[in-house]
Amino acid sequence: MTQKTTGSGDARDAEQAADLLVTVATTLNERLAVTAGELARSQDLLREASNELMTAFRGAADRIVAAQREEDAAQGEKNAEYGLVLDHLYRAVQHLQSHDLVNQLIDAQKMRVDKMREKLEQALSLASPPVSRPDQADTWIERSRAMLDCIVAGIQQIDQDARAPLGEKHRAGSVDLF
Amino acid sequence: MKTILAVDDSATMREMVTFVLESAGYRVIEAEDGAQGLDRATSTSVDLVITDQNMPNMDGLTLVKSLREMRDYKSVPILLLTTESSDSMKSQGRAAGATGWLVKPFDPATLLEVVQKVLR
Repeated sequence: MTQKTTGSGDARDAEQAADLLVTVATTLNERLAVTAGELARSQDLLREASNELMTAFRGAADRIVAAQREEDAAQGEKNAEYGLVLDHLYRAVQHLQSHDLVNQLIDAQKMRVDKMREKLEQALSLASPPVSRPDQADTWIERSRAMLDCIVAGIQQIDQDARAPLGEKHRAGSVDLF
Repeated sequence: MKTILAVDDSATMREMVTFVLESAGYRVIEAEDGAQGLDRATSTSVDLVITDQNMPNMDGLTLVKSLREMRDYKSVPILLLTTESSDSMKSQGRAAGATGWLVKPFDPATLLEVVQKVLR
């Protein structure tokens, strides 16, 4: 008989490697679950603060725009106070935008974490069914390879799907007119 | 009074842009994405379009291309206001027919300067 067989020692090594991969994937998935929870909590806190700031900003912005319109309608002289208040509000505009961008950044990170967890779970599900030929190293190697392929495909997909909204910091606020 | 169309999927960002422009005396209409922006531009006469790039339904570059295909928007200035800052994206914007590219977060005074300039 010339059929290629693998020794039981090799099969045991391959099985242990597959088990190790399962352990690593499970542990990583648990850590990612914690990270997902922390990201969600951070975003909740940031949203709460942003909402309060926006309410305050909106009140002030609406008043100043309405006051300016009334003055324009009455054709009165421009009140210097309005200019001062506007300067303060303009400064607030820049910082409120940052809040919004950080929210988007957290969304992108959450998506990355969720997608990675999804792929890890998919990879772990490949390790669930009992193998048909446990005494063959090829069987375990095949299983490990399928799990790794799934994880690698997930990593590639994550980079395509989740785009961080923040660009390079030094370019923020830059203008190009064509 | 000049009318400006502000397109962004972020309500906060739309509110910021609208406030800055209204405080300078412009009339602003808003849209949540490129598709809605195209609808608004079709139903209302607009003097300037300021649009984000990454949005659901229709992105900013597609909106620019679609507007440039319309006779009424051949020469209306269109500004991209986005977090995207790569040279390749800017080149695509230029090729699509955008008038300018501003990177978020924007400085209100700079935005107003640019708006005044392109509306001249």
